[in-house]
Amino acid sequence: MTFSLPVILQAVASGLMIGGVFALISIGLTLIWGVMKIINFAHGEFLMIGLYLAYFLVTKFGIDPYLTILITTPVLFFVGIGIFQVSIKPILKHPPMNQIMLTLGISLILQNLALVLFKADVLSVRTRYTGINYHFGGVVVTLTELIAFFGSILATLALYYILKTTDIGRWIRAAAQNPTAATLQGVDVRFTYLLAFGIGSACLGVAASLLLPFYYVSPTVGLFLGLIAFVVVVLGGMGNFLGAFVGGLIIGLTESLGAAIMPGSLSRVLTFGIFILFLLFRPQGILSRRQA
Amino acid sequence: MTPLLEVKNLTKVFGGLTAVGDLTFHVDRGEIVGLIGPNGAGKTTCFNLLAGAMTPTSGSVHFKGEDVTGRKSHQMCKLGLTRTFQVVQPFPDITALENVMIGAFVRHGSTGAAERKAREVLDVVGIAHKADTLGRDLTLMELKRLEIGKGLATEPDLLLLDEVAAGLTPVEIDDILTLVRRLNSEGMTFLVVEHVMKVIMNLSHRIVVLNFGSQIAEGTPAEISKNPAVLDAYLGEEEYVA
Amino acid sequence: MKQMKQYREFLVPLVVFALAAFLPLFLKTYYMHIAILILIWAYLATSWNILGGYAGQHSLGHGLYMGIGAYASTYLALEFGLTPWVGIFVGMAFAAIAGWFVGYAAFRYGLKGAYFALVTIALTEAAVYVVSNWKAMGGAAGLEVKYLGTDPFMMQFDSKLPYFYIILFMTLLAVLTAQWLNRRRFGYRLIAVRENEEAAEAMGVNTLGTKINANVLSAVMTAAGGTFFAQYFTYVGPRVVFGEVVSVQILLFAIIGGLGTVWGPLVGAVILVPVAEIARAELGTQFQGAHLLLYGGVLVFTMLFMPNGIVGLAKSIRARFGKTPDDTMSVSASEGGAS
Ligand SMILES: Nc1ncnc2c1ncn2[C@@H]1O[C@H](COP(=O)(O)OP(=O)(O)OP(=O)(O)O)[C@@H](O)[C@H]1O
Ligand SMILES: [Mg+2]
Repeated sequence: MTFSLPVILQAVASGLMIGGVFALISIGLTLIWGVMKIINFAHGEFLMIGLYLAYFLVTKFGIDPYLTILITTPVLFFVGIGIFQVSIKPILKHPPMNQIMLTLGISLILQNLALVLFKADVLSVRTRYTGINYHFGGVVVTLTELIAFFGSILATLALYYILKTTDIGRWIRAAAQNPTAATLQGVDVRFTYLLAFGIGSACLGVAASLLLPFYYVSPTVGLFLGLIAFVVVVLGGMGNFLGAFVGGLIIGLTESLGAAIMPGSLSRVLTFGIFILFLLFRPQGILSRRQA
Repeated sequence: MTPLLEVKNLTKVFGGLTAVGDLTFHVDRGEIVGLIGPNGAGKTTCFNLLAGAMTPTSGSVHFKGEDVTGRKSHQMCKLGLTRTFQVVQPFPDITALENVMIGAFVRHGSTGAAERKAREVLDVVGIAHKADTLGRDLTLMELKRLEIGKGLATEPDLLLLDEVAAGLTPVEIDDILTLVRRLNSEGMTFLVVEHVMKVIMNLSHRIVVLNFGSQIAEGTPAEISKNPAVLDAYLGEEEYVA
Repeated sequence: MKQMKQYREFLVPLVVFALAAFLPLFLKTYYMHIAILILIWAYLATSWNILGGYAGQHSLGHGLYMGIGAYASTYLALEFGLTPWVGIFVGMAFAAIAGWFVGYAAFRYGLKGAYFALVTIALTEAAVYVVSNWKAMGGAAGLEVKYLGTDPFMMQFDSKLPYFYIILFMTLLAVLTAQWLNRRRFGYRLIAVRENEEAAEAMGVNTLGTKINANVLSAVMTAAGGTFFAQYFTYVGPRVVFGEVVSVQILLFAIIGGLGTVWGPLVGAVILVPVAEIARAELGTQFQGAHLLLYGGVLVFTMLFMPNGIVGLAKSIRARFGKTPDDTMSVSASEGGAS
């Protein structure tokens, strides 16, 4: 509730750091949304899976939290692919609302499976990275946040590179633009959807490992982070890669600045308020010129 | 007497494209007016403007002497101007009867009255035997008839028909021609968009020709079929001038 | 004769609910609790169904209206001693205003499908945080209904029986409303909007107004359910009555039972709630969330294998055996009888 400059600067720094991770989380969602026009309401729960996985790898096996990326990423890729195969693929042609209800059902299952398996406890890890801080003037940045921020940027760039230069990327872009034309060009659209869903989910594996050292995990962690991903994706424009990145930073800043100047959890109202205004007045997002 | 429909300098611009440009024409009560033009000439856009599905960029529409520019579709419908869609738009999950009843509710508040009206209309358009079939299960021919029925059920003074003959066999087309003529003789006014020249030439009292959004000719079918500008516009589209 | 026919459609719900009124003769207290839960969710889902099923606008934020109803009556009772019998109407009035604004804003700007779903989630989630930070509303801890023992004037009873009859009556009204819509102009217009807005508009349906009215009606009904919920559980909390999770639960039974059908929400609740409650009772202490897990599973199953829900499935089976699709009354009768 103080409006002093250091407080604001601190909030800006923290906001940018977490915003980077929000961006990475949202890029997975916007990829899936953009390619197959499916809104995955279980996106946050996929992230939760990644967080629990990373948590157990760190606490039970003593693996370095950042090394868990090597496990969480492929596991999430296959979780995505598996769920796509058994539940999404059969209803690709169904009305969008059925798809939403289906992914909502999946999110209910995953969230409550976690509750059954791991109880409602809020878990977090202490690692050798914990407690290392850097001071820039009055602003304190933790090492874990810094790593998460730069890690997210790196992962985003890597994904961008894959989409721009590889065959897989070409297929994905073709399928996103026009499935029929893509089919005519010899792209296996179903397979491309499968890959896109896997890659979109794999982003969450990376995000989970980067997030865990300074965040927490609980069965409902995906509820909030999933909604944040929706906010970011709408802000950036559905399917817009760069938009999701900018949107992630904006929402990161909104959350932390809001928390700095508003009491309690009211900053959330600000976040959702922005979301609602965008949905109403600019559903195409900040970056796009015209409505899709 | 003021015309039933009076269109003045009607213009619709999409981005840089003028779909309808400075269109002026009128329709008198009791007439069947044809609106023709090559693909993309702006006919459907013109219908969208008249029926209130789109707002014009400029120009005005008067209906029954009243300025109705910018009114919404449902308002135009209540005033007595209804349109059919070039691509049929049934309500798939309800029966043909219920499809038509939605239109009948414009003039009838009670379900009983709307149902009676709807049955009457289904009979007129010749699909009474399909009353209990779901919209999704009708054939194209039946859907075309349903499309007209949905319009008729709203009891319009002016009905805009957008390519109701497209995709039908000659026999089916004749059926529809007979129907429109009969309704016309009973007092209903029509504005008809049609690519099938046989239909338009047979049916219309008067024809307005569009090309690239602008009116290039107006006159009786006989005049239009001899008009060099019209023939020019249709050059390379002979299949239509059959 | 014509009069008879007009009211015949209401006969089935009246008979079904009249029979249900005898249930307490056979049910032990615990089963009474389950019966009440069934009716609460059936009531809420039926209310949601008017907007979501009939008009095809899938709100994922009906917790907003349930919360408004629950908080309004509870707050007014605590602060001003106002009886919930009046508070329920105050809540409904607030929900009407909220429903109008939400409907106007969302539909005026053409939000459809997923975008409407997202905006309604955002609203109900925003409401969670507003209420959590609102001291007078008890903040994150919520509000407790002051315990008065049995006090009919304050809608409080020590026995389950009165609660049962109150919610039974409310659900009857909701089902009658749905039945009424089924054969009335407004109901047909809702369906026209759901099926094809452009065509509906061209056929004289004011689609914006229709959708807003549906939202208001649905919101008002939902709010009344919120008040009952608060009185029955004597507690309201931000995430208990607002928020995404409760919003999804509201629509769950309608989707599983059969979207846009009169009996679907009730059938869905009758089948699912007891199973879920038994799961909660048997496993709840050890495995929290077991019942929601079940709901999720059934929802996924429904979407994959019977997207039209139980009643929808029953109807298509009947249709295959040559009955006219219009003959919904007897379909409903057989399902209703099963409850
Ligand atoms: N909503 C829209 N946005 C942008 N351009 C449009 C839109 N609707 C139509 N157009 C364009 O306006 C022009 C006129 O289209 P319109 O559909 O009115 O033609 P038409 O005469 O009905 O053609 P057809 O005979 O093929 O039905 C076309 O170039 C079309 O691409
Ligand atoms: Mg056209």
